[in-house]
Amino acid sequence: MSPSEQLYDTLKSAGVDFVISVPCKLLSEIIDLAAADKSITYTPVTREEEGMGIMAGAYMAGKKPAILMQNSGLGNSINAIHSLLNYCEIPVVFICSHRGSEGEPVEAQHRMGDAMRPLLEASGVRCFEIDSPDKLDQVKSGVEQAYADKTSASFLFPFSFWE
Amino acid sequence: MRRYEALEEIMQVIGDTPVVCNIGHPSQELYIIDDRPENFYMLGSMGLALPIGLGLAMNSDRKILVIDGDAAMTMNMGAFATVGAISPSNLVHVLIDNQANGSTGFQPSFTAGRLRLEEVAKACGIPNIRVVTRQEDIAGTIAEALAGTDGAWLVVIKTEAGMPDGVEPIPLSGVEVKDRFVARL
Repeated sequence: MSPSEQLYDTLKSAGVDFVISVPCKLLSEIIDLAAADKSITYTPVTREEEGMGIMAGAYMAGKKPAILMQNSGLGNSINAIHSLLNYCEIPVVFICSHRGSEGEPVEAQHRMGDAMRPLLEASGVRCFEIDSPDKLDQVKSGVEQAYADKTSASFLFPFSFWE
Repeated sequence: MRRYEALEEIMQVIGDTPVVCNIGHPSQELYIIDDRPENFYMLGSMGLALPIGLGLAMNSDRKILVIDGDAAMTMNMGAFATVGAISPSNLVHVLIDNQANGSTGFQPSFTAGRLRLEEVAKACGIPNIRVVTRQEDIAGTIAEALAGTDGAWLVVIKTEAGMPDGVEPIPLSGVEVKDRFVARL
């Protein structure tokens, strides 16, 4: 199985049943997997912040939501993470391709890439770096823990994960 | 007609329909008019009332009513595109258009100028759109929207800016609002 297939299976096994996405080249395979999966609910969204609202609604309706997004989208979501998700104790899962990690060809991606950990820490979102498919067990336990204790979790996947 | 009077008209005809209500004075007025567990007062995250309603509608058999404002909608206009693409028949988006940012000092909003949000919604593919300007037409239009079976609804209600005295912050926490809302879904 490809890294994307392994990750997708891991999310399903951890209970994720509502998936939204904002496009990223590194995520293109897993986005296709979610879009083709008739056993979950999936939709693309226009912007990550919008996704925070849609996931909050889905969670209140009984779903276990996750967003597939590039790490840069954290920047437009931070108020919603604090004032909606954290304030109402609504847990969601962030599956983030980590642009700006080693192997990044676009110089402009490094600034936000380097800022991810402190921003996530300041956002009250747990952060896991998953640099190889060998570490996907951390995703399964981290996702299950997020829904169990109503604290959102993020998983950063650098270039090395997708190779 | 101000937003307050429009909200009174809406609440008379929606029964136990779950409501997602915009941040600030809209939620505070709704709390005074008809506080009920089926009200999700969105106390932060301006601009996300419609996305929250969409996430609920996609995963529930209930009708979901969103009470939004023109300035909040303008902040996150992409949500019209997502609603237009999915167009759930159980989603009714009520947009109170008072042409102002009322909660922050009544600065004019973009609908005070050239913006027409109903035209944006139409271009995004939302199939059922009504614009209401008279208070006596609100109840019937909301009832028609809640009875709809063919795609999402947008009801734009044009009101004056302004609000009554004595509107205060809601004495409920976010978790309290969420927990009692979820219990009634």
